[in-house]
Amino acid sequence: MKNHIAKLRKTANLTQEELAAQIGVTRQTIIALEQNRYNPSLGLAHAITKALKQSTIEKVFDLG
Amino acid sequence: MIGKPTWFKRRKYTGWGIYPKNWQGWTYIAGIVAIVALIQYIPLDFMGITGNSQIRTIATIVFCVIIVLDTIHIMARLPMDERDRIHEAIAERNALWAIMAALATGVGWQAATSALNNKVQIDPVIIVALVAGLIAKATTNIYLDKKN
Repeated sequence: MKNHIAKLRKTANLTQEELAAQIGVTRQTIIALEQNRYNPSLGLAHAITKALKQSTIEKVFDLG
Repeated sequence: MIGKPTWFKRRKYTGWGIYPKNWQGWTYIAGIVAIVALIQYIPLDFMGITGNSQIRTIATIVFCVIIVLDTIHIMARLPMDERDRIHEAIAERNALWAIMAALATGVGWQAATSALNNKVQIDPVIIVALVAGLIAKATTNIYLDKKN
């Protein structure tokens, strides 16, 4: 599942560490997410969406 | 307890346990080494204490038990996100399969040589280990089925 986390994170002016700290995961998990090597659970996807200040999960993750 | 989870990270590539990740963790390790050395070499004679080697052995055992309990306490409190938990679950499962395969091979070999020698020569510890693994798996599945 592809995502736009890297682009949205940079727009929100967050480092990988800051985003990781906000949602309670490691920086390695953020790296794996941005490289599309890991698909998050629904709860984590919601937390990422909220941290990146997006209104819906579809704006962060390509569900199609 | 004594050590804090923020001083350590979980071992992933070199067995089980924890590894210091900052100066506080390394100071904790140095402290353990220093205390063990102290227990072994502190002169007890001048204090009029006899039975040195027995006292040192008991003190070392007690200290090791404390350190093992502290390590377990630290490991239980080490933070893991969902990806860490998934990776650890898969790695631990693969480790278990490797161990069980080795134990089962060992029992098979012993059973075969027993049959050839007409004498039962199977290590009961291996049987206990296999049964313990079976019980742990069954118990965990029963718990998870009820919980989820």
